[in-house]
Amino acid sequence: MLRNFMKRPEAGAFAAFVITYLFFALATPGTGFVSVNGTAGWLNLAAELGIVAIPVGLLMISGEFDLSIGSTVGASSMILALGTNQYGLPVWPMVFLALAAGAAIGLANGLAVVKTKLPSFIVTLATNFIVIGATMGISRLIANVTSSSIVASDSAKFVFAARWGQANISILWWLLVAFIGYRILSRSIFGNWIYATGGNLDAARGAGVPVQRVKISLFIATGLAAALVGILQGVQWNSGNATYGMGFVFQAPIVVVIGGVLLTGGYGSVTGIVLGTALFGVISSGIFYTGWNTDWIQLFLGLLLAAAVLANNYVRRLALSSK
Amino acid sequence: MKLMKSVLAAAAVTLGLGATSPALSNEEGPILVVSGPLSWPFFAAVKKGFDDAAEIFEVDYQYIAVTDTSNMTSDYPRLLQQAISREPRMLLVGEFFPDGMDPLIKEATAAGIPVLIHNSGQTLWEGNGSIGFVGEDPYQMGYKAGQIQAEAGVTTGLCFNQVPGNPTVEERCNGYVAAMKEAGKETVYQTIGTGDATNPQAMTQAIKGSLQANPQIDGIYTLNAVPAMSALRAVDEVGRKGEIMVGTADLSNEALLAIKNGDLAFAMDQQPYLQGFMSIQIAHQYLNYGLHPIGHVKTGPLVIDSSNVEETLKVNKEHAGVRGAS
Repeated sequence: MLRNFMKRPEAGAFAAFVITYLFFALATPGTGFVSVNGTAGWLNLAAELGIVAIPVGLLMISGEFDLSIGSTVGASSMILALGTNQYGLPVWPMVFLALAAGAAIGLANGLAVVKTKLPSFIVTLATNFIVIGATMGISRLIANVTSSSIVASDSAKFVFAARWGQANISILWWLLVAFIGYRILSRSIFGNWIYATGGNLDAARGAGVPVQRVKISLFIATGLAAALVGILQGVQWNSGNATYGMGFVFQAPIVVVIGGVLLTGGYGSVTGIVLGTALFGVISSGIFYTGWNTDWIQLFLGLLLAAAVLANNYVRRLALSSK
Repeated sequence: MKLMKSVLAAAAVTLGLGATSPALSNEEGPILVVSGPLSWPFFAAVKKGFDDAAEIFEVDYQYIAVTDTSNMTSDYPRLLQQAISREPRMLLVGEFFPDGMDPLIKEATAAGIPVLIHNSGQTLWEGNGSIGFVGEDPYQMGYKAGQIQAEAGVTTGLCFNQVPGNPTVEERCNGYVAAMKEAGKETVYQTIGTGDATNPQAMTQAIKGSLQANPQIDGIYTLNAVPAMSALRAVDEVGRKGEIMVGTADLSNEALLAIKNGDLAFAMDQQPYLQGFMSIQIAHQYLNYGLHPIGHVKTGPLVIDSSNVEETLKVNKEHAGVRGAS
C-alpha cells in the first residue's frame, strides 16, 4: 500500500510538506505558528496562489504554460475598482465583467498558441506585458490612477472577503477549485484528454482527442481563476491595483512543479498541486515566525524549494524503480 | 555637422550668449523626463503634476519609465542613456540609482544639456552639474517617522521594507532606525521576498509572523500605503489593535480613511504632485528666462494625521490622482 502511494505524483510533495511543517513547528516555539490563527495565516496565503495554481497545473500537464496570470489578477481588480469607484456601477455586474475579461484573455492565449504553434511560454509572457500595459494605460485614461478604491456591496463582501476568525473565504474557494480540478482531471474523459495531450500530442491527436479544444479550455480556466483571485484580493483589500498578482507569474509554476507535475507535461495530480501550494504557504509564512534576519529569506526559500523538488524527484524514482 | 556645431558654439561664445542663454543651445530637442514606474500610485501623482504644468506652461515633454520593475537598478541607467542620446532640450531625472545614473548625468551636463533632478538624488545634484533638485530626502522622511513614534512612547519599532534592494526606499528605514536609536529605542528591520512586493496577503502574513516572533514590537513603520494596510490587518490578527502604533510613508485613500478611523497614526506625504509640477515650471522658466531656484526645493515630508486628514481626503475625492492613489 505504501509502495502504491509512493508511486503517486503527490508522494514527494506530501513528504516535503510534512518535513517542512514539522521543521517550522519546532523552530518557532511559542509564536503561535501552529495555532488556529497561525494556520489560518498560511492557508490564506496559500489559497490565493492555489486558486490559480490548479488550472495552471492542469495546463502544464497538457504541455503548456501560462505566464499571463499575473497581469490578469491586476486587470480584474482594476476592472472592479474603475467600475465601482469611478463610474459608480454596482459591484456584481463588474464581477462578471472581470471574470469575462479573464476568460477572454485565456481564450486569446489559447487561440494564439494553437493557431501559431509558438511556445506558450513566449505567447503568454507577451500577453502578460500586453495586459498590464493595457490595464495601466486604460486606468490612467479613465481615472489618472493605476490603483483605485473598490466599492463592494455586503453580498459581494461576503462571497469574496468573508472571514471566520482569521480564515478567509478564499480558502473555501481554493477547496472548490481543487475539487473541480480533481473531478475533471481524475474522474472525467476530459482529464484523460489532458494527460494524453501533454503526454504525446501526436498520439493523442491520432486517437481522436480534440487537443486544441483541451488547450483552449484550460487557458480559459487559468484566465478565469486569475480573474477570481483579482476579485478576491480587490474586495478583501478594498482596492484594485494593476500590479497585484505579479508574484504569481512564477510562484504558480513553482508550486505546480513542487506538487509533482512534470515540466514536460503528461504527469501530475491536483492533490500534488494542493500540497505544493500548502508547502509554499508554510515556508513563506513560517519563515517570518522564526524572527531571523529577513535578508536571508529568499536564499532560504530557494534552498527549501530546491530540497522539496529533489525529494520529490527522489521519492518518485525510488517508487518507480523498485518492484 | 560636428564642425557646424562648433562654429555655432564659437559664435555664441563670442557674442556672449554661451552662459546666459542655455536655451539657445538646443532649441529643437524635446524635454525628456526619466521618472518612476507609473504602476506605482506615487508616480502616477508625479506624472499628473508634470501633465498639469505642461498644459499650463504650454510645454511639450515626454515621460520615460520602466514598466517591469524587477530590474530597475540596471534598467534606469539604460533609459537615461537613451534619453541623453536623443539630445534633449532639457532633462528632468529622478536619480533613483545613483551608482549607475550619476556618471550619465555628469556626461549630460558636461555636454551642455540642462538637467533638473526630482524625487531622488537630493545629495547629488550639486556634484553632477544639475541646476537643482525638487523632492524630499527619504532619510529625513524616515527620521521624522522615527521621531514621532519615539515621542509617542514606542519602545521597539519595526521598519517593514517591501522592496529590499531599492536604495531610496531603504534610506527611509535607515532614517527611521537612526531616529529611534537616538531616542534609545529598539528597532527591527524586516524585508520580504521580491516576488511578494505587490501581494498584500503575503505582506500581512510576513508582518504577522514577525509580530508573533517578537512580541516586544509596539510600533510599525511601512514604506508605502499598501503594506500599511497589511500591517493594520496583521496587528488586528495578533490581537494587539490599539497597542501597536502604525505609521507609513506615502498615501492612499484607504490609508487616509484608516487615519480618520484612528487605526493608522500618520502617513508621510512627500507631495509627489509638486515634484512633477514644479519640475516643469522650473524647466519652463529656465529655458525661457534662465531663471531657477537656488538650492533644493523641498516637497516633503508633510505629516498627515488626525489633524489634517479630512482636508486631504476631500482633495483626494475631488481631484483624483493629485495626492496619490484614490
